[in-house]
Amino acid sequence: MVGINWAVIAPLLIIQLILVIVAIIDLVKVKETNGPKWMWALIILLANIIGPILYFIFGRRQR
Amino acid sequence: MQWMTLFQKELLENWRNKKWIWVPLVIILLSIMDPITTYYLPQIIDSVGGMEGAVFELPEYAPADVMMMSLAQLSMLGVLVIVLISMGTIAGERKSGISELVLVKPVSYLNYITAKWVAYLVLVWVSLFLGLLVSWYYINLLFGNLSFGDLMITVLFYGIWLTLVVSLSIFYNTLVKSAGLVVFFTILTIMVMSITTNIFNHVLDWSPNNLSGYIIEAIKVGEVSNDLMITGVVTIGISILLVLLSGQIFKHKEMA
Repeated sequence: MVGINWAVIAPLLIIQLILVIVAIIDLVKVKETNGPKWMWALIILLANIIGPILYFIFGRRQR
Repeated sequence: MQWMTLFQKELLENWRNKKWIWVPLVIILLSIMDPITTYYLPQIIDSVGGMEGAVFELPEYAPADVMMMSLAQLSMLGVLVIVLISMGTIAGERKSGISELVLVKPVSYLNYITAKWVAYLVLVWVSLFLGLLVSWYYINLLFGNLSFGDLMITVLFYGIWLTLVVSLSIFYNTLVKSAGLVVFFTILTIMVMSITTNIFNHVLDWSPNNLSGYIIEAIKVGEVSNDLMITGVVTIGISILLVLLSGQIFKHKEMA
């Protein structure tokens, strides 16, 4: 791949990284999730971009 | 002030469940995805490599067109995210009994609903501003000049459209008890609205669904048309009406 300007792509990667980190920290701190925690850990880590979003919407118990 | 207390409770809750972190980030991602992929399309095609000998011209995009791509992305996935974050806000609290805990005190129903409404609006507007700001930065970097005034017009009027989405979601929150149904009805309403607008295009000049079309027109021409203004006002009117109506519905539902 030639001609890719990393200054353009970097913010995309950084945003993804922040999402993953925040989701993982939240997953560790939260008491209970909908479904097993290890499953959510896999989803967050493996499905990039969409994984953390799925976790925040469906993974967290309302209360 | 009672309203401020409720409002702060909502803001705190949205902070605790990390919505203030991930919603802006996701909106930023959605807004910049298309400008970046469009810019790198030639390289992407090259690296896939299936185009030996096929010569074709990729169209040149004007900055306004790229802004339209960002809006199109927000109109699909952005709206979905907004509906999903607000789906349980009242419906869920009623199911789990939290709303009874709050409303057993002398709390006005309208205060309870508007506090939630405004809390979500602040979140959505801030996210939208950040998302389009980053998208604007990329457009200027990769495609050409788009003035800051154009950005502000886009944020202002597109924010009005998202305000309607939030209001619809709040409205259905008071109507049905299940979060899934809230999502279903809200999306359904938006789809029906868009189909009706398409069919009766010649009479429905000021339908909220026309907002993004008028926005693109405005940033291409460089001035805000009357149609855009009136559509904006109509959309705000519908939103306020929906919220007042949900206040009424909620009151009667809780009494029964």
